[in-house]
Amino acid sequence: MPKWFLPAAVVCALMFAATPIVIAYAPFESTMGLVFKIFFYHMPSAWMFLLGGIVCGVASVRYLISSDARHDRTAWAAAELTVLFGLLTLVTGPLWARKAWGTWWVWDVRVTASLVSWMIAVAYLLLRRYGGPGSEKLAAGLALFGMANVPFIYISVNYWRTIHPATSVVPTLPVSMGGPLWFCVASFFLLFVLLFKMRVRLEEQRARLDAVYLSLDE
Amino acid sequence: MSNVTAAIVRRVGILILLLVCCGALADSTVYAQASEQTKEYIPINELPPAEQLPAARLLVAAYSFVLVAVFLYVVSVARRLTAVQREVERLEADVKRTGRA
Repeated sequence: MPKWFLPAAVVCALMFAATPIVIAYAPFESTMGLVFKIFFYHMPSAWMFLLGGIVCGVASVRYLISSDARHDRTAWAAAELTVLFGLLTLVTGPLWARKAWGTWWVWDVRVTASLVSWMIAVAYLLLRRYGGPGSEKLAAGLALFGMANVPFIYISVNYWRTIHPATSVVPTLPVSMGGPLWFCVASFFLLFVLLFKMRVRLEEQRARLDAVYLSLDE
Repeated sequence: MSNVTAAIVRRVGILILLLVCCGALADSTVYAQASEQTKEYIPINELPPAEQLPAARLLVAAYSFVLVAVFLYVVSVARRLTAVQREVERLEADVKRTGRA
């Protein structure tokens, strides 16, 4: 692991320990009250979910063009993080919605598109795990669909009728709410970078293991 | 694909299908409830305890789920990484000992 990994991991742990305190200082939203505070974990998770989809898609495009195994390893690592952060988003969302909207789930365009994107990432991992030789290219193609879905998820709330808040909510947040939110976004982003680094390292070690086995066979 | 693998894939598929069906059913119930006309307002403290939905419980559940899921994932990646690194070191030591490149 690089030298910066351990200090960054300590900073990340401290930031996560501080998030409940920072969030506690944010005022309640007028109609949702206490349950609104789920927003401070839900939205950063959702952004990292979308970031994972983009990283996986870009790495897959580069792999399809160059056939460089490094890009394939990057895509695989990003797909796993997409599943993780997608799961966090799809679980914290309904917990918030139950109180704010009166229902666990609605088939509105953003929720449905997010579920589809998450299932594409799950399909990517299943394909890589059980697809056998040659599944890398097929999975890379699948990742393109996941990436194509990302801008659709983001802008969907502005073009379709939905009860999901519009994208204008975040830029117009007052400092008292925006400060804690951006602190949480920074914490989640640092977590994403650290997990991504760990996961890529795992793939590098697996590639090294394969190389050693090949050298033994020869 | 082996029989075990096929069984796992089949079960995951059935699970996803069931989740989607449950979601659709729950959603249609909510729309049916929402379409009913409101005949009276009831103060929240007069609702049965099961319907009062304290927000704190949902908030704690959301935060706990995030932290536990991230912790489990970190443990999972660390364990996989340690196992692979040990295997690499063991094999490289074997290669050196036997003098095979």
